[in-house]
Amino acid sequence: MRCAKRQMTALIIFLLISSLVQSSDTTRLIYKKKYVMGTVFEIVVYDRPSHDVSDAIEKALDEITRIDDLLSNYKADSALSKLNRSAHFHTQTVPPDLYRAIDRSVQLSKLSGGKFDISVAPLVNLWKAALSGDSMPSPSQQQEVRDCVGYKKIELNPPDQITFHSNCLQLDLGAIGKGYAVERAADILESFGIHNALINAGGSTILAIGAPPGQAAWLVHLRDPSRKIDPQVMLRDESISTSEQTAPSLLGSTAGHIVDPETGKPLKTEFAVSVIAKRGIITDGLSTTLLLLGPTKGKLLLRQMTDVSAIWISPAAQIETAISGPQIVFPGKSS
Amino acid sequence: MIGPWRTNRIRIVNRLLCSLLLLSACAWGGVFVRWTNTALPRPDALGFTDLLISATGKTSPSSEDARQKGYRVFLEVPLEQANDTAVKAEKSGLAGIVLNVGQSERDGVEESIRALRSVHPKLKFLVLGSGGKQPQMRGTLVIRRNAVLEVSSPTAQPWIDMNLALVKIDKRSRPEQTPLYTFSWASPDSAQQSPPTAMDYSLAVAEAGAFQANLILEVDEPLQKALNDNDPQAWTLWKQVKSYADFYSHPSKPALDHVANVAVVLDDLDPTDETMNLLARHNMPFKVFRPADLKSETLSSFDVIVMFPKPDRETSERIAALATQGKIVVIVDAQGSYPWQKGGSVRLNEKAVSYATGKGRVIELSEPVTDPETFAQDIRRLLGNQNMLVSVWNGLTTIAVPYGDHGPETNRIEFVNYATDPIQLQVKVKGEFNTIRFESPGHECCSNLQPVKRNGFTEFVIPELRIAGRVYLDESDQHSVSHAPQ
Repeated sequence: MRCAKRQMTALIIFLLISSLVQSSDTTRLIYKKKYVMGTVFEIVVYDRPSHDVSDAIEKALDEITRIDDLLSNYKADSALSKLNRSAHFHTQTVPPDLYRAIDRSVQLSKLSGGKFDISVAPLVNLWKAALSGDSMPSPSQQQEVRDCVGYKKIELNPPDQITFHSNCLQLDLGAIGKGYAVERAADILESFGIHNALINAGGSTILAIGAPPGQAAWLVHLRDPSRKIDPQVMLRDESISTSEQTAPSLLGSTAGHIVDPETGKPLKTEFAVSVIAKRGIITDGLSTTLLLLGPTKGKLLLRQMTDVSAIWISPAAQIETAISGPQIVFPGKSS
Repeated sequence: MIGPWRTNRIRIVNRLLCSLLLLSACAWGGVFVRWTNTALPRPDALGFTDLLISATGKTSPSSEDARQKGYRVFLEVPLEQANDTAVKAEKSGLAGIVLNVGQSERDGVEESIRALRSVHPKLKFLVLGSGGKQPQMRGTLVIRRNAVLEVSSPTAQPWIDMNLALVKIDKRSRPEQTPLYTFSWASPDSAQQSPPTAMDYSLAVAEAGAFQANLILEVDEPLQKALNDNDPQAWTLWKQVKSYADFYSHPSKPALDHVANVAVVLDDLDPTDETMNLLARHNMPFKVFRPADLKSETLSSFDVIVMFPKPDRETSERIAALATQGKIVVIVDAQGSYPWQKGGSVRLNEKAVSYATGKGRVIELSEPVTDPETFAQDIRRLLGNQNMLVSVWNGLTTIAVPYGDHGPETNRIEFVNYATDPIQLQVKVKGEFNTIRFESPGHECCSNLQPVKRNGFTEFVIPELRIAGRVYLDESDQHSVSHAPQ
């Protein structure tokens, strides 16, 4: 009896291994990358050799470029740049993708009590100039620019009309654009019948579709400034985003690239935050928001949401988590 | 009616002319083609004349066959086999020896080469340094055992593997030799599992050309075979690679020097130094010096000096004098008493103190550089916008190398775009220029770009930069489209 049980177990293991090997044999890996939105977008697809996925990946990368052409505030002829030039006390009709991205950003602003704010661009630009060698902005310069900031000055009229109630409001979708782009790219891949893929926006936002052959999900190592914890997560039809303030200067005091709309100054934090949820646009926007809020207020915000997990890690290996979605595992820790 | 003899003679003359044209186009000679297949195309077909064969490889073409076909043949050997190989190479009429020098052998190599040159004056001896990388824009995905292992990182900026720091360090290590490097295409952790493409080869050739370095170009085995089999697709690929080699075979003034205003003083000239790599990556125009150079060089055109070795007394006095003249000197891992410490000081953070010294200042960092990326950005900040020789926008994947006539003024900039997709590049260069001309591989020289002069700087836009391009800057007002100065 005991022997029969062993034989049965061996048979099950053999069948499992056989199915994994077969699965690996019948699929192939196709990889492409492209420089868009100031970063490297990578797409990995596992599919059957008969299926021509190369074209699908190209189309997904083209879609990311198209979204960049709409949402970029670096490109003078982008839809966002045009809006930033013309919507001050004037109602403008915008493309649906731009409207959706702004609409979801404003929802997140309301949810976070203004900690997340896509109108923070003038403040970011002010501190960015200081980062690149200009002198630190004076208090009066800071105040002048702060008067231009505030998501409440954006009026949205569905389905596609936007008005700025300020003469100096400027929007920057940098904190949400990559998340929106990976979602659109995933839609393209899925429309081609691709069910196992990973879309990576420079490491800061990653979206997983399905899983690699023979595996339950995509294994992702999270950012760990302490280099001691190595937290990991298994992603399947989920997205992850990570935010962290610019590293402190070695030769002076520096401004970081993430500015707190509440104080008008660069955020001071040593934490890195990773957020896992179903959608890229949610994780991208939330990672910046949770970095700005910090663990205590961040956890309170997440209580209002479902299927979202987040982790804050400091260089001193301090960990704070909020888990209502995928589990975060710590292989180095004993259970 | 033309007789058969005359027809043949015309054909022979035409072939000779074609061959001469091809060979003259490759007079730059910056690419040594590393070949391993026993069969070998003719040099006029390949378009390169310098051929590198491994003296220790399992398979390789016959050096005699290659020489008879018209190649200048170089043998690649480890340093310890150089003597024996040199005797054979000289007897066989080969062009030279490329010495593969490991990190641990760097110290004694100059002496070995002097000895070899004195015994074999007809042979050329070149030192191949270590640390070369395949130039590429890298992603962050890592693939192992058919699964993706991904590290989630907030660093969204593209990572570029490049060889500019290696070239600059090699230039100071061996001033008598044009920097020479190579790399292997094989990358076991790379997500890119397909063979190198025309873009990959072109980028490699462009990088070496833009940096004025010599490259040993490894031709992958399947491509060698396809070229030998006269596969039209392989020859189309190779034609593109050759167009890039041609582009760098006629630079306007080969004697131009890298323009720099950041001096980096190093004790150990390690070509894999990550801090140097990051300075290059952030388009910091820097030049490498040894500590002894501080005593002889005026450093008048440098705005920032970064000192890595511990300064001795004489060097400390020289540093104080340079700071007094108005320069910013950064001392890394500073421990001890120095003359500038008598002046007023400001603590910048827990690890850095700034001392006002005359018109300039000395900044002491109390520890080694722990974060090369942040350090490079710090040097960029210290330099300030007023002292940036070249700035690029929409250019996170682009390296710009300014060149000049051995002075502080830039009159040519070489650009390399590692993304290899066309980008529109905005450029700001220090100095006021009336004429900006742009050329790129495969296009006739030159198109005029519109300069905008502002506060001592000139701004212009390169409408499309694919892999490589070159800009000529001229203070004179030349409106007509013309060829680059020869």
